[in-house]
Amino acid sequence: MKQIKNFVSRFQTRISLDKNLILKRRDTYFLLNDDLRRLISTDFFCAGTYLGKTRGGKFFPSFNLLRMIAGKKANKVIVDKKTEWLFICGRDIFKKGITGVMGSKRKDDYTLILNQHGECLGFGKILCNLDKAKDGVVIKNILDIGDFLRREKQHA
Amino acid sequence: MSDKKFFVTRYKELGWEYEDVKPRQAIRINSINAKEVVVTKRLRSLGIKLGKIPFLKKGYWIRKSKFSVGATSEYLLGLYSIQEAAAQIPATLFTEPEDKMVLDACAAPGGKTVQLADLMRNIGVIIALDVRKRRLTALSNHLERCRVRNTIVYHMDVRQASMLKVKFDRILLDVPCSGNFVTDKDWFKKRTIKDVERNARLQREILTEAAKVLKDDGEIVYATCSLEPEENELNIDWATKNLNLQLEKISCHGEKALTNVFGKKLDSSIEHCRRIWPGQTQGFFICKLKKCGCVQ
Repeated sequence: MKQIKNFVSRFQTRISLDKNLILKRRDTYFLLNDDLRRLISTDFFCAGTYLGKTRGGKFFPSFNLLRMIAGKKANKVIVDKKTEWLFICGRDIFKKGITGVMGSKRKDDYTLILNQHGECLGFGKILCNLDKAKDGVVIKNILDIGDFLRREKQHA
Repeated sequence: MSDKKFFVTRYKELGWEYEDVKPRQAIRINSINAKEVVVTKRLRSLGIKLGKIPFLKKGYWIRKSKFSVGATSEYLLGLYSIQEAAAQIPATLFTEPEDKMVLDACAAPGGKTVQLADLMRNIGVIIALDVRKRRLTALSNHLERCRVRNTIVYHMDVRQASMLKVKFDRILLDVPCSGNFVTDKDWFKKRTIKDVERNARLQREILTEAAKVLKDDGEIVYATCSLEPEENELNIDWATKNLNLQLEKISCHGEKALTNVFGKKLDSSIEHCRRIWPGQTQGFFICKLKKCGCVQ
């Protein structure tokens, strides 16, 4: 729970999660509703809303959690269509691909990456002050929705 | 060994002349995540040519696409799923699934689980089981991509579903089956009548357990993508005679199922099942069952 809160805070926001509805299975976290909580037995594989997992003390968020953060006032960057596709393919973000910024522009802060429809594509780390940067890579890709395709290939 | 000629002769005896059928790709809009009109407009703007599937509410044929429809932002955002047209039918047959306790008995890789969640608008509970652990990872990824929130997944053989100590309002039995030649080009080389008989026995065991965990007014939708009557009409005829289950009329794509299989006369209610011979879609068989005394 603390790891989730710490991760969310890196986007300069908070989300309220009912700790009674959060279930940890080994190193993974799930958010349940009351019905699921009442029914679930300990040997489940996954349940409700998958929030993320910890590995080696580090927290890896799910896209569900990123969407929850995106629903709040938080660090967000909107990118154009070409940059959207490059980001999904695992590439970092160039300044010229950014069409809007909300929240922090500071180096080392985390920011969500949204497309022109306001949909969350993943998140990245700001590499240099977004106001001062002239061009080149300004956000490092940390996680993008192309991960679903990579997972499919991994398990094929 | 039962070769192509063996199966083709059987199909002819059942009233269908074999023809080579190519699979057609289809998608289903996940309406909990986006409006249908918005998704289709976005896909068309990418140059994808879509055709509405006349017998499905949210299904579209992919008529032309220069790239994989499984690699668009819209797909990765869970706005639609790739799901064969006939396979989109079973989940739509349940009466008011929203807010119900639903069992998806053989759930992986999760196409129908996501569809059920969509029909339930993420309300109620789906318990999804699968016996193949490797495929559960694909299922959980599918649920995350499509933003499903009302599901508990267990690594479990449906034949042990009683252990959950839950009674279900709706049960989807998309049972393991012999498949058909449309989706597997080597089907005739691989399959024998022994496989069909073995699968039919497994399906009866699954039906038996499902009948046990079904509420008195509950519904079972049974589906296979097999063309073989042992896995379809003969199994359902057996179920209606042995499991206190009765067939309900359904209104969907497909023709009336067979009531005479290789000279064996089946109960007339079997015609309430739907058989889909390969053509517009792959081969498919679907029916809806209720406990006796509860048929409306």
